[in-house]
Amino acid sequence: MKAMNGDERLENLAKRLGSAAAARLDVEATAQKVVARLREQPARRIAWVQQTWLRIAAALVVVLSGAALVRQTLVTRNTHAAHFVADDLRDLSADELRDVLATFDQIINSDSVAVPEGSTDLHELDAQQLRAVLRSLEG
Amino acid sequence: MAQPHMVSASPDAALILAWQAGDEQAAAELVGRHARPLARFLAGAGAPEADVDDLVQETFIRAFRSVDRFRGQCQFRTWLLTIGGNVLKDFGRRAARRKVVPLDEAVRDVTGDPHEHAEASEAEALLAMGLKQLPRLQREVFLLRAQQGLEYGEIAAALATTPGAARVHYHHAVKRLKEIVK
Repeated sequence: MKAMNGDERLENLAKRLGSAAAARLDVEATAQKVVARLREQPARRIAWVQQTWLRIAAALVVVLSGAALVRQTLVTRNTHAAHFVADDLRDLSADELRDVLATFDQIINSDSVAVPEGSTDLHELDAQQLRAVLRSLEG
Repeated sequence: MAQPHMVSASPDAALILAWQAGDEQAAAELVGRHARPLARFLAGAGAPEADVDDLVQETFIRAFRSVDRFRGQCQFRTWLLTIGGNVLKDFGRRAARRKVVPLDEAVRDVTGDPHEHAEASEAEALLAMGLKQLPRLQREVFLLRAQQGLEYGEIAAALATTPGAARVHYHHAVKRLKEIVK
């Protein structure tokens, strides 16, 4: 090889680099493939957009249905709790309330229950005080 | 007959306008003009030879789709080569995810003296290996300058940097490559 400085040699090598790959390239066929892909890809993009919107719509339906179901379940639960307190408690007599409370003796002994001051025995309470104790059990 | 002649005599800017107006022949003409330099650039930047055709196609597709963003700040070919660099980067990421290590074939020239050819092939293989070790910007600046013969101003416009910075990147690349190829 002819003597040449490092920079020149490097540039000559760089010019040769990739020349075999470029020579093997069928330029006409590549041009045809590119044009064909450009022709078909806008249509594919429209199809992709349509598919995407369909997926978004389906996901929204699932999320909204789920949210409606959860909401309905919560409302039903709250209604049942309100029915028990509002209706059943109001209809109980003092004796019946004592029977109910007898089953909660252990709970009543805990600090969370608001037993009226000065009272140590449930039998000393009147109906109004017993209702107050039951309500305090609900938290 | 007259129309194809007019198309091939048109500057790139006219062909771009014709393509934007829906002329597929203009797109094909642009591919014909720039496909081989692009293939050389991609192969030089480390594209496996088996994938060069696909990468060339992908580069042109991206370029034609985003041609509205080409403001003529540099030549169309230079802009195309920088898109090729991005396409190659994405290809490398996908290959890394698939755990595929591209094996580059050494560039071979089937003509000439066998000894000279072997020596040149070895040097080219070393250069290709050295280019892979460079940071992307240095590699692209080196290829745009040494392989494609572009001026620093043109390179700087394409890579959104200054001619001075492009010159510095080139000299860093040359310094490192000389150590590898010597």
